[in-house]
Formats: sequence, C-alpha cells, structure tokens
Amino acid sequence: MQNKRIIFGLLYSENYFHLSRNFRLQKVGDIEWLQKNYAFNETCQYIDELAFFLVSRKHDKKEKLKFFKNINILRKKIFSPIMIGGGIQEFEDAKLCFENGADKIFINSEFENIDLINKISDTYGSQSISIVLDYRKVNTEYLVYTNCGSKKNNFNLTKNFLNLQNKNIGEIILHSIDQDGTGNGFDLDMFRNLNLSSKKPLLLMGGAGKPINIKEALNEKFISGVITANLFNFIGNTLKVTRELCKSSRIQIANLF
Amino acid sequence: MKEIAIIDYGAGNIASIVNSLEYLGRKVKILKEPSDTHYSHIILPGVGSFGKLSDNLKILNFDRYIIENLKKGSFFFGICVGMQLLFEQSEESPGKSGLGLLKGKFEKILPLKDRFLPLPHVGFSKTNNYNVKIFENLRSEAYFYFIHSYYLKKVPENVNYCTSEYGEKFVSFIEKDNIYASQFHPEKSHKTGLTLIENFLKL
Repeated sequence: MQNKRIIFGLLYSENYFHLSRNFRLQKVGDIEWLQKNYAFNETCQYIDELAFFLVSRKHDKKEKLKFFKNINILRKKIFSPIMIGGGIQEFEDAKLCFENGADKIFINSEFENIDLINKISDTYGSQSISIVLDYRKVNTEYLVYTNCGSKKNNFNLTKNFLNLQNKNIGEIILHSIDQDGTGNGFDLDMFRNLNLSSKKPLLLMGGAGKPINIKEALNEKFISGVITANLFNFIGNTLKVTRELCKSSRIQIANLF
Repeated sequence: MKEIAIIDYGAGNIASIVNSLEYLGRKVKILKEPSDTHYSHIILPGVGSFGKLSDNLKILNFDRYIIENLKKGSFFFGICVGMQLLFEQSEESPGKSGLGLLKGKFEKILPLKDRFLPLPHVGFSKTNNYNVKIFENLRSEAYFYFIHSYYLKKVPENVNYCTSEYGEKFVSFIEKDNIYASQFHPEKSHKTGLTLIENFLKL
C-alpha cells in the first residue's frame, strides 16, 4: 500500500518568494511576509514534503547563499521532509543542498548528465535524487524543455521518461509549463494520452488551483504525489481541507494530524 | 545530566536531527571522531548507501566506539541506514558488513502483493506497534516518514519491534536493551517524530 503525497513548493528568487505563471515569475513577498501572513509553520503540518525551488535566472554564489539562508530560517521549526534544488550543475551544488537540510535534491536542466547523477547517488543514495522534467504540448507532441523552459531537448517526454526508468534516481516529477500557475488542474490529459506507468514514483507539478485538482490527480493509480507552489490557494487551512477531501474520497493518504 | 551526541560520519543530513534536538531544548555534540567524554544518548543518523557508510564508520573507528559505549550503558538510536548498520548485511552492498549487533540481513524491497508499487518507498507510512515501550504515548497508528529501497523482513529474536507495510510487511522499529533503531526518519515526521525523539531522550 502506497500513501499518496502532497508536496508544497516555494519558489525563491532574489529575496522573494514567487508565484509562477507559465514560467513567468511574479513577486509575492519575502520571508518575513511569508511567516507573518501565511501561518507557514502551521501549513507545514499538513504536507508530506516541503520543496524549495531556486528559480532565479542567475545562479551565482551570492544568490545561492541567500537562498540557503532563507531555507535555514524557515526549517528551524519545520519537521517535514525537505527537497531542495534549482541550478544544480555539479556535485558540489548538490552537496550544499544536503548540508543545508535537503533529504532530496532535484535536478532539472542537467537531467541527462549521468556522471552527475551517479556521483550524487554514490554518496547520498539514488533515493535522494528527484528529476524534474519541464514539458509543454506542441501540436500533438509533448516536448521537454530545460533552462527555465527556454531550451528544447532532443527527445520528447515519453522517450525521456522511459530513459530515466533505469537510472540511479529516486523519482520523476513531470512539470507542465502550459498548466503552470493557471489553477486549471494538473495535466491529466498528458498522463492519460501517454499512458504512463513507472517503476519509480511519478509526481505531477503545475496547475493546482483548488483541493479538487489535487484529489483528481492523486486518484490516478500511477501518480504517487503532486506538487503545488500556489502560495495563495494552498496555504493556511487549505491543505488540511485537501487532505480531508482525499481521505473522504478513499484516496490512500497518511493521517498526519 | 543528559549528554547527547550525534555521530558525524558523512551520513547526509545531520542538520535536521540537530535542528529537532535544539527545538526540544537540548544541547547536542556533533562527534567527528570517537571521544572519551561519556554521552548518555548517542544518535547514528544515516542517509546514503550501506557500503559507503559502513566503510566510513570503520575508517573513523566509530564501530568500536559504538560497541564500547553500548557496554557502558549509553542509550543508542540508529536512523534509517543507521539502523541497517546495526545488523549484519544489506543486499545494497554485497560483501560489506554492518556492526552485527543484531542478526539479520536487509533485502531489496520486493512488493509481491502489489507489483505496481513504485520503488523506492517514499512517504509517510503507519507503524503497527506491538510491545515497544518507547511508543507508549503515541497514537496506536503513528505515521512516520520513510525513504528507502531495502528493508528487514525477518523479525530478529528477542527484540520489541514495530512493523510497517509497503507491499510486504517489514520491521520498521526495534528496541533491544539500550539499542533503539528506526527505518523511518523521526526528525522528518512532524509532531509524532518529535514525541518519539523526546521519549528516547527521557530514557
């Protein structure tokens, strides 16, 4: 029996947490604002994992240090599993994430870098690596993009997804650029069209606007979890309500409270 | 006076355990090498591969340190691979050996009852508590966070234990004399996890 996961994501760039719509960022507030207005610590009791995404277009050292500083303040009173990523290009980048509280890291643009994946997995175990594939639908095909959605990958989504099945990684996150920030629900059309099933946990990201969107995605047998980074709709009590909705719909989900 | 130490042998995320202990108002010493100071409570974290962490433990002489301090009566808590290392072997790293304080071998998770379960096992799962004293003030169905690909299926002799289920039933917690160990991460398991850590520190 597998308990489905609801993961809350925070998008960070240059001192601010953001909303994202089709990968365009909109500033929401800084860490003080987040703690003050959004009962953040309480929200974290209702989630299976917390994810921090560094979404800055620049990845210099100074920006990373500020990112980690924010994480270290927020996680002082949070005892949930933590995933950190964004701009991981070499082993040292991943190591820094683990040293700053990550249980898992995610790799995005470098997902084809097998040496990097193997090196991280040798030290921290394959379970600690999540791969995020950003994709959009072009005509009838699902194409994968890297570098914040700007660079088209040589292979389509299905091909990349199948390639990842036997790599030293823990899970695969499919992130719809088209659905991102729309609030229209997760891209279940893609999931059904491609008829995906996976030996590793498969998660969807992009599109959650209300509790029912999460319920509908988790209702799919082969979807292990969802990530929402929607600061306005999914903070405070809403995640609790979402869990209760899932439970009453007989979706397997942990009793966290 | 309770003195708490965490063994730092390159096992991933010790920041979270330190964080949880500090939240509970405890001071903690991070040991980078064996120490002559007596610690009443010693924690062995474990994020990484069995083979690599087993090597590290031995290179840094923490294997002898743990055995000696258990004899001196320190309470000991192994987390995740820190639990696995108390046993003899793991299929993850053939040829590598654990401390052998408990008999048993960790096997690759093989969910025969549900072949569609993805691996690794990631997420919160419930523990069924049989006779574990340290769980006394927890709910009968306590949920903890798991992230692992190997598990202990055969219950060791003469231990108190909990089981959890992921396709198959496995041992998720053991308690024997002054040894305590969990396959799950209490430091990642919200209030339930903090209560368990606090229970351990009360010993």
